[in-house]
Amino acid sequence: MCRGSRLLVAAGLLFLTGSPAFAAAPIRIQAAHPAPQAVPSAPEGGFTVSLRDLSNPAELEPVLARALRESKLPGFALTVPGGTARIGRFSIGAGESQQGDVLVLNGNADLYGRLSGNLVTVEGDITLHPGSYVSGSVLAYGGQVHQAGGQVTGEINTIGSLPAEEVAAASPAALSPLVQALRNVAGLAGVFLTLLGIGFGLVLFGKPNLEIISDTVSHTFGRSFAVGFLAQVLVVPTFGVLILGLVLSVVGILLIPFAVIASVLLVLVAVLAGFLGVTHALGEKYTRRQLAQGSLGSPNSYRYVVTGLAGMILLWTGWAAFGWVPVLGWVAFGAAAVVTWLLLTVGLGAALLSRLGLAGHFAGRFIPPEALTDEYLWATPQFGVPAARRPGQHKTPPPVR
Amino acid sequence: MRALVVPGLLAVGMATTGAGALEGQSLKHYSTTRQFHGEVRLAAKIEFGGGTLNVGAGAPGSLYAMQLSYDAERFQPVSRWESGTSTVTLGLASRDKGTVGVGGTKQDQVADVQFSPQADLNLSMATGAAKSVVDLGGLRLSSLVVETGASQTEVRFSKRNAMRCTAAEFRAGVAELTVVGLGNSLCDRVSFEGGMGSVVLDYSGAWTADAKLEATLAVGGLTLRIPRAVGVTITTEQFLASFQPAGFTRQGNRYTSSNNATAARHLDIALTTSLGGVTVEWLD
Repeated sequence: MCRGSRLLVAAGLLFLTGSPAFAAAPIRIQAAHPAPQAVPSAPEGGFTVSLRDLSNPAELEPVLARALRESKLPGFALTVPGGTARIGRFSIGAGESQQGDVLVLNGNADLYGRLSGNLVTVEGDITLHPGSYVSGSVLAYGGQVHQAGGQVTGEINTIGSLPAEEVAAASPAALSPLVQALRNVAGLAGVFLTLLGIGFGLVLFGKPNLEIISDTVSHTFGRSFAVGFLAQVLVVPTFGVLILGLVLSVVGILLIPFAVIASVLLVLVAVLAGFLGVTHALGEKYTRRQLAQGSLGSPNSYRYVVTGLAGMILLWTGWAAFGWVPVLGWVAFGAAAVVTWLLLTVGLGAALLSRLGLAGHFAGRFIPPEALTDEYLWATPQFGVPAARRPGQHKTPPPVR
Repeated sequence: MRALVVPGLLAVGMATTGAGALEGQSLKHYSTTRQFHGEVRLAAKIEFGGGTLNVGAGAPGSLYAMQLSYDAERFQPVSRWESGTSTVTLGLASRDKGTVGVGGTKQDQVADVQFSPQADLNLSMATGAAKSVVDLGGLRLSSLVVETGASQTEVRFSKRNAMRCTAAEFRAGVAELTVVGLGNSLCDRVSFEGGMGSVVLDYSGAWTADAKLEATLAVGGLTLRIPRAVGVTITTEQFLASFQPAGFTRQGNRYTSSNNATAARHLDIALTTSLGGVTVEWLD
């Protein structure tokens, strides 16, 4: 087989394994219903499904979908007010009667006796055998209602299977690892491109600010982290105090909407600028190292941002590729999340320390830019022989503005 | 490297388009029915936004039933029952506004609605951009209101109504409305209000009593098909409208068919037209 043909076959296989139709195949296989069991009631404030009103299936649908999804998790608990919930096959025998609404998840319901309440099955059929009686309504969600002679006072409803994406969510194994990995990679690519666009915009319009934040990250990493962490702790209380102050001042009440918007924007800008500052710093360090080793290319902020962002995204590739593996996926996610949080915190701190890149107190720039004249640079050896005298060597120059 | 990238991208693209195609195919199914437990009367409202609507008589064991195939992304089924007034509202509502959706859909939505032939039926219908076929033959229709928007609607009385019907009202916007077998409807009074469009009122069927028709037409064409054995009187108020009925004697704004004096059954028509054209066709 020639190389081209092999590639075509590979593409075909990729398509087959990646296509939703293929991915959906296991769903059919999983149609077997689990063993009958009662669902314990959820604690106060837990997951509750009310079956009192079945007249609006569109509203009920997401709740039932969630119930089905969570029923496959260990420790599943659900409360049906005035009723019960069950997993698997359910029946009421001839001569038996049951009070209250009944929710049956992933199982059929066979009624021979009496039910005083509503009956709902999710991914299961309802059969109303002769002599059966339901005082309320019945709803088969993703199933059928077979009327074999039973009586129902209310409505008999059926609604089609769960939407494909909810079924997929209900059974995580339904998605092939390849599809999951492709989705994750696509998500990462989207994040990368978005940040890249913002980063390029920042380099284009706010290069000095970005460089100061970047230098602050490089020169005061620990201090930046401490400040960023403190900012995360204090941001909510500070915001609360601000709003309270405006409320107490009565006149300031009118300013609350503006204060809210301004605060949110400020935090967002600080986080974003800080993060891009971190990527810039990482990219700069890496690029300079590469250049020192003889690599070709020119050092510039665009390259730093691209390199830094690529590094950040690389952090998540482990999760993207192996996120579907039970333990390894969680570890990869956790590790990437922790490192990202660490760098975000440093970036936020650096953005705050440098007043969003307006002040270089902590940027390690002890020589004011105006001092970097051609004469100074010519007269001052940068490497090798130390300079005898450098302007302002023994005293700290005033901060850069 | 490039040799690997190209098939990879192809595969991703094919998988993505495959997903899109599958998602585009989904019409959701919903059905609702209420068993007949000896109810005497039923007031039914049908609200249907877009697609094909079929209405007719159902099995004796059910008071009403509806089967829907609908675009779940844009619409949601409606089935409301008010036990105090024995009123049911059936149909499809738009998810966006919670009202009758009129917007077009790529999906071919279908609603089949059936009513019990045993309970007196007070039926009210409102359809949007829909194609409706309503066969009321075999039902016990006590009153009827049909409102259509930009739709194509055919109302048929294929069998004689099982009881007297007090009134049948038709309101059509920019619609094509055909009502066939009004003689079977046993409605004392039929009224029609039309905006633009083509309307056919066919009075064929088994007449058991005299009937009245009030028709108001703005722009469009109204065709009246009347059995030749029925005596007809038409009173018109016209403005820029053409009305040249054959076989009628004119007295001012009143037209009388030649058999009016001898006919066993009579149809009185009050006609108000602006720019519409009215045609009378005789059925042998």
